[in-house]
Amino acid sequence: MTQLALVLAIVVPAVAGLLTLVLPQRRAPWAPAALAVLACAFELAIAVYVFPTDFAFAWPWMGFGVEFALKLSRLSAFVLLGIAAFSFLVTMYSAVSMSKASASRRFHAWVLLTVAFSAGAVLADNLVLLLVFWGGLLLTLFAMIAAGKTRPFATAIKAFVIVGLTDLALMFGVMLYGHLAGTLSMSATRLSLDGLGAVAFLLMAIGAMGKAGALPFHSWIPDAALDAPTPFMALLPGSLEKLLGIYFLARVALDLFVLTPESWVSPVLMWVGAATILLAVMMALVQKDYKKLLAYHAISQVGYMILGIGTALPVGIVGGLFHMVNNAIYKSSLFLTAGAVEREAGTTDLRKLGGLGRAMPVTTAAFLIAAASISGVPPFNGFFSKELVYDGALARGWVFYAIALAGSFFTAASFLKLGHAAFFGKPTREERQGKETVKEAPWPMLVPMVVLAGLCIVFGLWNALPIDRLIVPALGHAAESAHHGPFSGFPTNMLLVVLTAGVLGLAVLNHAFGVRRTGKGLGAVDHIYHAPGLESIYKLQATGALDPYRMLNGAAAVAAKGLFAIDRAIDWIYNVLATNSALATSWILRRLHSGDVNRYILWTLAGAVAIVLVVLAVVGGAR
Amino acid sequence: MGDAVLMLIAVFAPLAGAFLLPLLSALSRTVRNLTALALVGASLVAALALLPGALRGDVVTFNLAAPLGLSLAFTADALAVFMAIVSSLVGAIIMLFSFDYISHYENQNEYYVMATVFLGAMMGLVFSTNLVHLFVFWEITGIASWRLIGFYRGKSDVLKADKAFLVTAAGALVMLIGILAVYGLTGTFDLATMKGTALPLGVSVLLLAGLLSKSATLPFQTWLPDAGVAPSPVTALLHAAVLVKIGVYVFARLFLATFAFDEALRLLVASLAGASALVSAGAALVETDFKRIVAYSTVSQIGFIFLGLAMGNPLGAAGALLYILMHGLAKAGLFLSAGIVEQNAGTKDITKLGGLIRSMPWTAGAFLLCAFSVMGIPPFGGFFGKYMVLSAAVSGGEMVFGAVFLCGALLTILYLFRLFAKVFLGEAHGVLAPEKSRLMVACVVLLAVLSLVGGLAVGWPSELARVAISQMLGVAG
Repeated sequence: MTQLALVLAIVVPAVAGLLTLVLPQRRAPWAPAALAVLACAFELAIAVYVFPTDFAFAWPWMGFGVEFALKLSRLSAFVLLGIAAFSFLVTMYSAVSMSKASASRRFHAWVLLTVAFSAGAVLADNLVLLLVFWGGLLLTLFAMIAAGKTRPFATAIKAFVIVGLTDLALMFGVMLYGHLAGTLSMSATRLSLDGLGAVAFLLMAIGAMGKAGALPFHSWIPDAALDAPTPFMALLPGSLEKLLGIYFLARVALDLFVLTPESWVSPVLMWVGAATILLAVMMALVQKDYKKLLAYHAISQVGYMILGIGTALPVGIVGGLFHMVNNAIYKSSLFLTAGAVEREAGTTDLRKLGGLGRAMPVTTAAFLIAAASISGVPPFNGFFSKELVYDGALARGWVFYAIALAGSFFTAASFLKLGHAAFFGKPTREERQGKETVKEAPWPMLVPMVVLAGLCIVFGLWNALPIDRLIVPALGHAAESAHHGPFSGFPTNMLLVVLTAGVLGLAVLNHAFGVRRTGKGLGAVDHIYHAPGLESIYKLQATGALDPYRMLNGAAAVAAKGLFAIDRAIDWIYNVLATNSALATSWILRRLHSGDVNRYILWTLAGAVAIVLVVLAVVGGAR
Repeated sequence: MGDAVLMLIAVFAPLAGAFLLPLLSALSRTVRNLTALALVGASLVAALALLPGALRGDVVTFNLAAPLGLSLAFTADALAVFMAIVSSLVGAIIMLFSFDYISHYENQNEYYVMATVFLGAMMGLVFSTNLVHLFVFWEITGIASWRLIGFYRGKSDVLKADKAFLVTAAGALVMLIGILAVYGLTGTFDLATMKGTALPLGVSVLLLAGLLSKSATLPFQTWLPDAGVAPSPVTALLHAAVLVKIGVYVFARLFLATFAFDEALRLLVASLAGASALVSAGAALVETDFKRIVAYSTVSQIGFIFLGLAMGNPLGAAGALLYILMHGLAKAGLFLSAGIVEQNAGTKDITKLGGLIRSMPWTAGAFLLCAFSVMGIPPFGGFFGKYMVLSAAVSGGEMVFGAVFLCGALLTILYLFRLFAKVFLGEAHGVLAPEKSRLMVACVVLLAVLSLVGGLAVGWPSELARVAISQMLGVAG
């Protein structure tokens, strides 16, 4: 029965997705969305049903160690539940928000296929099977961005190339793992991190971080924020991709390898995490578009998770996974508020927004809760997971902690700015070019964001529920710590709490300073933008010169020119060298045949002499 | 004997039947076209009829004794049946596509005769286990492809056809010396008799020259993009599905199934394949001609197949076989989409194309799906071939080759997307050409769907490949 349920968890959304594509759209325009909500509800039911069980099975497939093997472990059961829940909430939301979009049918089809592939990816117990589902996600990612409204294909291709690159790295890592471990099963052996093992680890970690959108594999996300449908942002960069990427990073660190703090890859992960936190949040800070600002936070927050897991300490890993859940909750809630604002106010440009708080009280409340959570304000969920990550980071080095804390400052500052500019303050008449009268979004859009905002409170106040029931069991032995008390409850390290509170206070002061200086909420961080040194970096970034995608394309173009020159050189051998030598040979032969009888007699005599000499030599030799 | 007849049908139905086609054209063009399809279809049906036996591991042989070591020997083992099915399947789809495509041009009789002869000779080459006959069929494919590439009579078209013929024929002559040297060593032309012989490296290199020139691998690659002047079904037939696969097939037949594999040769082939994969991928990223880009892509992907074979382990060989199939399907789809675009838009210069997704949605979609398969994106078929080949390199300890080909795979993604973006996206240049022929679009869509199904149901071709490997290498796959 569990076996059937696991297969259905993959097959049902896939079939529903394909069905969506062939439904008669003219007669029943609501059908795709309805089918999507139903299928996701079914997925949620399965995820709840199988949650308490442990189960594994394998069918033969391609041979060469590649089986269709599924396994439901504590960790995968928990992530599957998250995937089902977020996709249910987002489809419910998109049923309304996408109802007028012409791409609604395709969008819902890709959502359902994404759910199917995601379920497959978390249930897969064979690395090649995981690669297959991972690749399927790459395709639906491409297709969903391409379903957007403005020039979406350029962004879709960008996303595809970047994520595809990390998928190739993952594939190479899988091969190395298979070579070293002698198996492609994901629950057979744990390799130690030395020599090639570390390389395999890093390659697989790149695959995980590429999916999660960490630096330097992030740059498609802000572009997608502008081009792709908003529910897409809530579903993929907001929640599912983080769940999948961090899930897999945890599997790599815990089940496939033995990650210890002593290994050199641990600091590598921590630096990637720290850099992601800081650089992305600095970009988020100066954005003037609601969705793009959120997109940079979607990148920045991954940094905390990678930093947490990279510490290789139980407290950091628990914190990283808890942060994964929390981020998915508040980030998708935030993207949903952005979608509601976009729908009702007609724009997400912060320069044209303002004072929405009175017209959209529910959206505003949801935003405030989610923003407080992401900023790490107690008692919301983000506070507790960040404290755990801080705890681990500080144990590994003050510099990691300092960067993470600086990230918190900028996060809080940017959300103060965002909230102030969008929901408070009063826009002048000429600034508001959107709709004249703004009203609250319809209830199917409000319910998901309110539910998610509620979860921010629940997972904060009663954090023992997710930590002790979901995360610690999922981690098993990796969550056992001799040096640390219980992970749930209020943080034990009061110094960290005081510092966090101090940083949040600084952010508020900074906001007040900025608002007084410029006279408006949107200008609250202008003094940081114009800070000496920073401004030139921001301007350089604005030209796109720092985009790793552009660097990749530039490098590929240079390499291609060199390679093409080799190709042309070889072609020259055929087209010029070969033909010319043939012509030259025939020219020489032609010159020899001049038609002069005397010369021909001379040739004949010389030939006769040569023959006689050869015969004599042979005869002499035989004697 | 029953199964041996199937082999003879597969070879001689198209080979002999081809010459009836001009007579039939006097009757009706449609009859001629359908007969050509039926002849290729006969090969396909015969090859499929051999499949159940091949899956069981049966080896069917046919022998017609003749003096001087020239006995006609045909063998249908799993490798031959696999290759025969791939060639005739893709060949039949391309033949169907030609109905509409070629109907615009002159010299149609020549086209149908040569294409059918070509496929018949391919079948003969696949089943032959006598080196002399193998060489004869080899040269028949060369002559047929010379005429097919020179289908248009423009001066540069004829020159490029000559170039293709000269390069491959020169390679074949070198190979012929190699074949004679093999005869000198073993006293036989029969592959079954000489099994297990260790060849000196020099002789192997002579043979290799012929194989590489036919498969357009570095340093013999440039005739292939030049041959892009041919009509699109021809380029699909020659560059994607059949002709270029001859070299890799005979390589597998000779060096994996027959001779002992030399370590130095292994390294040589893998290095040439790696250079080939990178150089032509780079060229594909620079070129601006639709078909030349796809042709360079073929050169690049053939490198993956050679790598798999050169690794000499079961995983690599099976991956190479799978990739012969998957690449054949997907690349034929790409060439045929190029044909639809070229014929309707009147140009294949990608700088003069753009925005065609609006007027050619089906072609664009099919192109994209085929491109995903060539890029090696799961769950498309190309992924499994690429994965197995690369994995074979890694598990053989050849990390450098693995890394080189990984770069090749990345470049593949880049140049195929560049091509897609330039042709189907962006601003339109002039009037957007419609798709017109439903038959042509249907063929491309069929190839795209097969590329996807080939990946989802990879277990089936993989099983046949495993039987072939165990017969070739004498180990269980």
